[in-house]
Amino acid sequence: MKNLTLNKKLAFIAIALGFIGLFLGNPYKGNLLSMNTKELSMIVETKVDHVTVQDLADWIIQSKMDFKLIDIRTEQEYNEYHIPNSENITMTSLEKADIPKSEKIVIYSEGGIHSAQAWMLLKAKGYKGVYILFGGLEDWKDQILFPKLPEGFTPEQVAKFEKTKEISKFFGGTPSVGGSADVKSETPKMEMPKLDNQSGNKTPDGAPKKKKEGC
Amino acid sequence: MNMPFFKYGMFGDEVSLIVAFVIGIGFGFILERAGFGSGKKLAAQFYFTDMTVLKVMFTAILTSMLGVYYLSVIGWMDLSMVYLTPTNIMPQIVGGLLLGFGFVIGGYCPGTSCVSASTGRIDGMVYLLGVVFGIFGFGEIFPMVSGFYNSTFMGQVTLPQFFNLPYGVVVFLVVLMAVGAFVAAEWGEKNMAKKAGAKK
Amino acid sequence: MSTLVQTSETEKVKSVSVPKPYWNPYLSGIGLGLVLLLSFVIMGRGLGASGAFSSGIAFVLEKIAPAHTNANNFYKEYLGDGTKSPLKDWLVFEVLGVFVGGFISGALGGRIKKTIERGPNITDRKRLMFAFIGGALMGIGAKLARGCTSGQALTGGSVLNLGSWAFMMCVFAGAYALAYFMRRQWL
Repeated sequence: MKNLTLNKKLAFIAIALGFIGLFLGNPYKGNLLSMNTKELSMIVETKVDHVTVQDLADWIIQSKMDFKLIDIRTEQEYNEYHIPNSENITMTSLEKADIPKSEKIVIYSEGGIHSAQAWMLLKAKGYKGVYILFGGLEDWKDQILFPKLPEGFTPEQVAKFEKTKEISKFFGGTPSVGGSADVKSETPKMEMPKLDNQSGNKTPDGAPKKKKEGC
Repeated sequence: MNMPFFKYGMFGDEVSLIVAFVIGIGFGFILERAGFGSGKKLAAQFYFTDMTVLKVMFTAILTSMLGVYYLSVIGWMDLSMVYLTPTNIMPQIVGGLLLGFGFVIGGYCPGTSCVSASTGRIDGMVYLLGVVFGIFGFGEIFPMVSGFYNSTFMGQVTLPQFFNLPYGVVVFLVVLMAVGAFVAAEWGEKNMAKKAGAKK
Repeated sequence: MSTLVQTSETEKVKSVSVPKPYWNPYLSGIGLGLVLLLSFVIMGRGLGASGAFSSGIAFVLEKIAPAHTNANNFYKEYLGDGTKSPLKDWLVFEVLGVFVGGFISGALGGRIKKTIERGPNITDRKRLMFAFIGGALMGIGAKLARGCTSGQALTGGSVLNLGSWAFMMCVFAGAYALAYFMRRQWL
């Protein structure tokens, strides 16, 4: 008979714990998400999520900054050099970040792998306007900062290269004229342009100061 | 608190195997303590004479369900890191029925048959052989049944999601249902005992 | 003096041969639930049993008939990618622990006995036959359902997995449905 009172006590404890549970809310904290795989695959194939370094350079120069530019690399890499107007958010911080879903976001990394992974993460969270800087910092260095005019150039190419030189100088880079196509030739030491301030939020010199939206 | 510890990288695969072994010992120990090494005791559940299976199973579910729930809502455990087997509803229903048949015909389930075998029951050992044979047979016919096996995939879905109820409400309902089942079980056992006594 | 020694000896013999009673089922359930909870807390997964057997079978088959085993999608899942033995699997070690734990408990409780569990109205041979058939059915059912009572019912039940609860209800339904036809074996 002692069992009976023990059982009654256990039953009471169970019901009490269950009852309290009614008020405790959802144990899942919102990091379990679902993705539309079909939509995703179509986006990747039609490449509507790409942004070229040329486009990005133009936008920065013209202060058309209606998007958030995110540098997904480490803080150390960011401090060494980052694309102007970019914000440093690492992958785990991005997962926790509370960016409004209406924002347009452009992500870049060294190449394209981490930015693509961050793209996937943001898409899963439900962001509609997420874009990857195609080619990442590597292409930025090759085409924007240190553009090379190839040997055997035509007059049209020279004309085009003038604009490229301007863009490069704007970002503090060093354009060069290519020598032999021989890979073994000495590549000039590519020094990354030093930035005036490390916050990355300063608008480029000479451009009209644009008020950041949605601070 | 970063639970589950393994998913947060607190130890590696080798240690996890040791953890598995130790947890298994605890599991087997308690199964035997409850009397589940005996096929007769297990089968008695389905004749209403001994409802231990129901009592142990649902009490265990209640305990760990409440534990997991509370640990998650206070933020110690990240429930999304706990593995949730995806649901394939039709194969699971059919599998469940077959398992029920096997339970009352064979007198054991895979876990209890291990305990039975290691405490000397020959029927438990034979049952284990049957399980091996059944899995082997399934493996061999798998190409033919793989369509059914993979059908009606619903992804990872929980009861709260399916019935569109808050998690806490489902927890409470499960507790009520289990305690109700216990009350019915106690009553049922007493009744059967009375009947058996009257018969004699 | 000698009579005293004698009684203590007979007492000792008695305590070994008479099996101790089982635990209160609710306390056993709480104990089991705590073990399960420990598994969730430490590993982020629950218990299981049938999966260990699948690994073992896949392992043995692969040694005997590697081409056939590797061509079969079901076994392949348990063979892994070939970098480590399928036996170095969490469930395999857990099930080994279950054998050991069961034995220890049985030994401590004086319940180790070479016997065949059955009702009074059936022969040993028939019982063993049924045990085998029951086991085979269970093996198939467990694979279809992606688990057995340990993996699906206990583990999935605790995290309110839809498939697990549906499975659990069906296990009880199936067993009760067939109980009448099997009563000769147990009652």
